[in-house]
Amino acid sequence: MELLCLGLNHRTAPVEVRERFAVSNNRLGEASHELLALADASEGVVISTCNRTEFYLAAHGAEEAFKRIEIRLTEKIQLDSSVANHFYRKAKTEAARHLCRVVSGLDSMMLGETEIFGQVKQAYHSALEAGATGTILNKVFQRAFGVGKKVRTETSIQEGSTSVGSVAVDLAEKIFGHLKNSEVMILGAGEMSRVTAQSLVSRGAKSIFVTNRSLDRAQELANEMGGTAIPFDDWQSVMERVDVVISSTGAPHAIVQRADVEKIRRARKYRPLFFIDIAVPRDIDPAVGEIEEVYLYDIDTLEQLAEEARGRRQLQIEQCERIIELELEKLNLPGT
Amino acid sequence: MDRWFLIAATLLAAVGGALGMISVHRGKRTQWTVAWVAAAFLCQIGFLSVRGEWRAACPLMDRGEILAFLAWSLTLFYLWVGPAYRISLLGVFTAPLVVIFQSLALIPGTLTANPLKIVGSNPWHETHSAMSVLSYGALALAAVAGIMFLVLDRQLKEQHLKSGLFRNLPPVRELLVSLERLLRLGTSLLTLGIIAGFLMPRAESAWGHLIAAMVVWLSYAALLAVKQIRGLTGRRLSLSAVILFVLSLAVFAFV
Repeated sequence: MELLCLGLNHRTAPVEVRERFAVSNNRLGEASHELLALADASEGVVISTCNRTEFYLAAHGAEEAFKRIEIRLTEKIQLDSSVANHFYRKAKTEAARHLCRVVSGLDSMMLGETEIFGQVKQAYHSALEAGATGTILNKVFQRAFGVGKKVRTETSIQEGSTSVGSVAVDLAEKIFGHLKNSEVMILGAGEMSRVTAQSLVSRGAKSIFVTNRSLDRAQELANEMGGTAIPFDDWQSVMERVDVVISSTGAPHAIVQRADVEKIRRARKYRPLFFIDIAVPRDIDPAVGEIEEVYLYDIDTLEQLAEEARGRRQLQIEQCERIIELELEKLNLPGT
Repeated sequence: MDRWFLIAATLLAAVGGALGMISVHRGKRTQWTVAWVAAAFLCQIGFLSVRGEWRAACPLMDRGEILAFLAWSLTLFYLWVGPAYRISLLGVFTAPLVVIFQSLALIPGTLTANPLKIVGSNPWHETHSAMSVLSYGALALAAVAGIMFLVLDRQLKEQHLKSGLFRNLPPVRELLVSLERLLRLGTSLLTLGIIAGFLMPRAESAWGHLIAAMVVWLSYAALLAVKQIRGLTGRRLSLSAVILFVLSLAVFAFV
């Protein structure tokens, strides 16, 4: 039995492809279970974030297993077989090393970001609860979490603007200057929204409005941030007054359409409006960015800023890689 | 003597602008641009003092003097607005315009070589000339802020975020606020200039000039009214500020 990993991420696939493979958080366990049948594997975990979808398996024969899952996945999602060119395939130690790098934030768009640790943990627990994991994946994932913690405590890989939240705030400041005069609306009360909202509050945002399909969840986040929760149906009226809209819902289609923004332009007196779409699939129709006073950034375009942070942290990466190699040598993981 | 002051002012502005651009290209922001432009400003004052003494009046009698006075006015507003509102790179964008105005003034034949003393000058006439050219300084700086906005807007829209220019340009909102303030200031000064123009004794041939001034004033007033009442996108406000300034300069060059 071998440890295998098949995946695509922000480096290998554009957002148009990634969004087709995206799995919502509440379906991760179910998807892990389906993976077992798709790949004829005995164990499986599906990780799905804004930047990546990865399938971890314990199966016999790497080549055959990869082929099986690629064919069945492309059939299931009804995509051309050329989509397989976006996949990367890793087996045994290489797969374990990759998981450690992912958990440590070394493979993230925002190098060293911390959100990925929780996201992988959630994906693993969903698979565990769905009964899709066994000896190999349980051990590999638990060890990977240990390595991730060690990397974060022994290096300064987390320091600086490497999270989507802080990069988004940097851009907001480039448009509005001091955020003390800026109002912000958060669409979708997920983890990414919370992190982004925290960054905005820490830089002095005047007021924050939170909306979510579940008003309770919106209320919870609004209380945490000192903001105001609004019913999901009211987001269009609130958009008339805000300066920044950060969207991170789990909706399978675009929520904000060009017509929605065109309707409120006059009421806003054509003031600049900054959209940050950190959702996959995207929440904001790209046509919204064609409106003169609108600045629209999706998750892919934020990578330009992440690259700068990546440069500053090159030295830290080498140290992290050394820790991962030393830990992998010590661990003697099954399936590697 | 007067030309040497103007040549020195042009060279100082050119060096300040060039060093600022090199610095921005390297991703850094220099604090020295304001010092170079301030030195140029002193030389401009030297030029205007000499010409003013020769004329025994405000030196706004030939095209060269008007261009030099306009460059001085633009520099004055930059030195007032730029550091006070911490609008970085305003000097780097202003210096080339100062160099262009002064270079045009230095073209042989533009400045009268032996200016005549003005006999019996009228205070309303001097107020009209001074206020009008001062207003053009503010409106020129508004156009500079407009160009800066258009550059930043394009970079943000096209997501070219890695250049030194992008990192050093001031925020969008600050640029737009400064642009609007400068437009208001320029239009207010132009209002005073036009009122003085109606009060000064004038020949029949001056009517064309006054009507052109009224058209310029109405255009700027309409722009501000639309911005205030209906609202305007930053791009349209900036483009209007740049186009109106270029058009109004062209009008006065020929009317």
